[in-house]
Amino acid sequence: MSVKKIIFNSRLKFLWVLALIAGAVVALRLVDIQLLRHNHYLQLAEQNRTQILYQTAPRGRIFTADGKAIATNAPSFNLYYLGAGPKEEDYLSQLAQDLAPRLGISKEAVTEKLNQALRSGKAIALAENLSPKSTIALKELQLYYPGIYLIEENKRSYPYGSMASHLIGYLGSMEGSDWKNRDLSLDYRLNAKLGKNGLEKKFEKEMKGSDGGVYLEVDYRGRVKQVIEDRKWKPGADIYLTLNYDVQQAAEEGLKNSLTGRGAAVAIDPRSGAVLALATAPAFNPGMFVPYSDEPEVKSKKISEYNLAVQGIYPPASTFKVITAIAAIEQGGFDPKKIINCPGHYDAGSRVFKCWSRHGPVDFFGGMAGSCDVYFYTLAAQIGPVPIERIQRMFQFGQPTGIDLPGEKAGNLYGPTRRARNRSFWFVGDTLNLSIGQGELLVTPIKMAQYAAALASRGKVWKPYYLDRVVNPQSGKILSEGKSEQIGTVEIANSTWDLVYKALKHTVDAGTARRVKMPGLDVYGKTGTAQNPHGEDHGWFMAFAGKEGQKPEIAVAVFVEFGKSGSSVAGPVARKMLEAYFQRSKSAEVSVKEPEEILGE
Amino acid sequence: MTHYQKPIRRDTFDKVLFGAMALLALLGLMSIMSAVNSLGFSNAVVRTHLIALPLGFAAFAAAWSFNYQIFDEQWKPLYGVILALLIGVLIFGTYQRGSKSWFVLPFFSFQPAELCRVLTLLVAAAFLDRQGRAISDMRTLFLLGILLVPVFGLIMMQPDFSSVVITCPALLVLLYCAGVNIFYLSLVAVFGLVAGFFIITWTYLYLHPALRDYALLNVFADLSSNVWYILGFVLLLVVAAYGAWWIFKQLRMTLPVFYFVLVAAVVLAGFSAGVFVDRQMKPYQRKRVEAFLAPQSDPQGASYNVLQAQIAMGSGGVLGKGLFSGTQSRLGFVPEKHTDFILAVVGEELGLWGTLLVLGLYLLILWRIVVIAYMASDRYGYLVCGGIFGMFLTYMLINFGMLIGLFPVAGIPLPFISYGGSNLVSSMLALGVVQSVYARRITIA
Repeated sequence: MSVKKIIFNSRLKFLWVLALIAGAVVALRLVDIQLLRHNHYLQLAEQNRTQILYQTAPRGRIFTADGKAIATNAPSFNLYYLGAGPKEEDYLSQLAQDLAPRLGISKEAVTEKLNQALRSGKAIALAENLSPKSTIALKELQLYYPGIYLIEENKRSYPYGSMASHLIGYLGSMEGSDWKNRDLSLDYRLNAKLGKNGLEKKFEKEMKGSDGGVYLEVDYRGRVKQVIEDRKWKPGADIYLTLNYDVQQAAEEGLKNSLTGRGAAVAIDPRSGAVLALATAPAFNPGMFVPYSDEPEVKSKKISEYNLAVQGIYPPASTFKVITAIAAIEQGGFDPKKIINCPGHYDAGSRVFKCWSRHGPVDFFGGMAGSCDVYFYTLAAQIGPVPIERIQRMFQFGQPTGIDLPGEKAGNLYGPTRRARNRSFWFVGDTLNLSIGQGELLVTPIKMAQYAAALASRGKVWKPYYLDRVVNPQSGKILSEGKSEQIGTVEIANSTWDLVYKALKHTVDAGTARRVKMPGLDVYGKTGTAQNPHGEDHGWFMAFAGKEGQKPEIAVAVFVEFGKSGSSVAGPVARKMLEAYFQRSKSAEVSVKEPEEILGE
Repeated sequence: MTHYQKPIRRDTFDKVLFGAMALLALLGLMSIMSAVNSLGFSNAVVRTHLIALPLGFAAFAAAWSFNYQIFDEQWKPLYGVILALLIGVLIFGTYQRGSKSWFVLPFFSFQPAELCRVLTLLVAAAFLDRQGRAISDMRTLFLLGILLVPVFGLIMMQPDFSSVVITCPALLVLLYCAGVNIFYLSLVAVFGLVAGFFIITWTYLYLHPALRDYALLNVFADLSSNVWYILGFVLLLVVAAYGAWWIFKQLRMTLPVFYFVLVAAVVLAGFSAGVFVDRQMKPYQRKRVEAFLAPQSDPQGASYNVLQAQIAMGSGGVLGKGLFSGTQSRLGFVPEKHTDFILAVVGEELGLWGTLLVLGLYLLILWRIVVIAYMASDRYGYLVCGGIFGMFLTYMLINFGMLIGLFPVAGIPLPFISYGGSNLVSSMLALGVVQSVYARRITIA
């Protein structure tokens, strides 16, 4: 073998080695594609070949405690023809004949659509948004004619309109950020609606359910080859609230018909902290955001997302006098019989503080019932501001109630220690302002309800809760439950409670809170008018009631913004709520005398 | 009987080579049947393939029984046959998909370029065999170039780029095996690289118009169309060549001027070829280059094909979805599934084992060709094996490379597997020639 031949041979050998290396590279890449990334590509291949006619799952419903569905679903049906199936003239003509009257369109139009589907080989919608009524017959036809499919869509509906709108929130379309941040464990589609606010947002994961659909195998041009699977949806979990439908209804009605139509009303069960009503006015209709496909979608949100019940902070005004009274009684040496003369003003030395009226000589019960400012100025001047602040802290003023709602405001505690933290001075005038609940003191309506419930339960400060349970509608399994939680106790003597109860009962029986007086019930209440330097005064009404001789069952706080008066504007709302709770007939209302004073206390 | 008592039998048939080929053909038949989604023989594609298969085996047998040296002796008539076929198809051929490259006969159609690429290798090998010691001369390459220019010219007139894409690397391998000076061979490679560089860069600039804001790139982009720019480029080349020569001279490394002229000429030739191809490129071919450069730019367009083929392969997994069960091929997502993308069908339905089997059988065939080249009784046999080795290596690399995203989609079938009678017959013919070299090898006895 010549040298040259060796060179030649080594050259071919070299190429052979190169071929082997190239083969190894190719083999590795094949392993990468077919073994390591198999799942990824399998998914893509499945996506390629399947087309899904989606059936939106019914969203979880929202129920009140008495079983009224305040958020539910309205089914709507779409009828599809799959474009794959018998193609005989007779079959199509018979199908068109049967469909036409049920869809309300002519036979020619149906035939045209069927032929169009057959020509393109694609699934086509014969009719959309059919009512449940017309679909019973169509469901039967589906059995006789392969190729037609009835697809059920579920649309959110709110049967009671704006009922509890601020609590429920609303649904909206997917926006860019929603899509990006969507929960990948749920099968969201681009045209899905999702909760944007309130419970709809909070329980989105639970209420969503999983969509079903008819899974079709299609070729690269989208022509239907066969039906792979007809998958039924799974409904979302139902939410049961502690709300009492009647009380909620009464609260919303009352607020809507009040002087300004703006405000909030909250009712709490003082035995557990369960929220019986949570109303904010003006309300909105959550349904306006989920229109049918042919309705224009509301883009601009003209509604007030501002939930006044937990986000509005105002001075509690005269409703606070209860705390001043408790502080004075607890301080010792308090004589409820002691008469204090109200000349209509109180001389604090450097400044004269006015009373809203001229009460003349009043004792404790008279002072409370008439909401006499001078009486409480005098009490506060005797005991000083520190005990008032102490009791205030027991009721947890200046802290959020902890209700599971977004954006709750804490309000503001008012007192000398609080002031000292700001490195500022405390004046006598501050003590007097504090005693009648004005000044820097600020509370939300939900706080006021918590306060009323604490009074009603003789010192139990509850964390209000509205969720009773989340239930899987198919299995009936309870997924989660709301629970009663006491976050504080007002530790004062029983005798003090008795005295306060007597005063508050007197206020209802013969004082400013006469509006809520109802026979057969023990009702306790206090009104308040918060001074508003920027406009009309705000009206407060705080009450709690139980059956005669029994423990209170409901505590109510009503706030009417710019309502001028607590008793005449907020009072009727509270009365309606109590009536609704105790199922009192309207006739009982007639027997109540109209209170004489209208403005201010 | 112990081994030295065994009578030495001179077998004339390499069973491994034939077995690998036959197995590939069987795999191919099954894949084609699956790809065209027809179990019966009613389908035209399957029918044609079933006619082509025996023809291919017949061509294999014929080439095997012939003494391959006849191609060496009669290379001039063979060259004449190539030219006659290629001229004939330009006159009597039929247009199919924009190329005039088919003879349509009553029972089947025939693509002469497929046969010509095997014959060209035989002729080139014969020519190189005759050069003897002059093989490393510049003159040999030059003469071979003159010999092949008409062949390539005629193929380009059809036009049939894929034939050129296969034949050029195969010829390079042949030249390399023949012992051509590496310097000259690199010049040929430089020529190809320069041409390719210009085509790809122009396409890239065409894809990204924003880049034309840079003045230099803008000039570059217009280089193929503006005459003044072309003249400037030529001048620049001359100056660069002279400058390089001068620098080497200053460094006391005096090299003949000839080399610098040669390099400049080769770059210029590459440039001209680039300009020529750039102007000749059809939109769909430009799209393929685009898809290769930027696969994400157009998911529904050209790169869609590669993506769908990869989805098919990847979704097959290790064991595959089973014959006739691949959704990607059955529902038409894989394009050209029975020709250019047949490997995707194999990958989807037979899985990783299927693709590795095809790859392994190809490597087995290449190995047998190398072994047989060793055994060849003369230099011509060795050269023929080298050329055919280069041809199948190119087929293998381009087909697999295209699927795994290493090469642009070239529209080249995979011999023995893909549908295409002319390709099947000429590929089997080529292996028949190798078998003939084996049958007439040197034997120790």
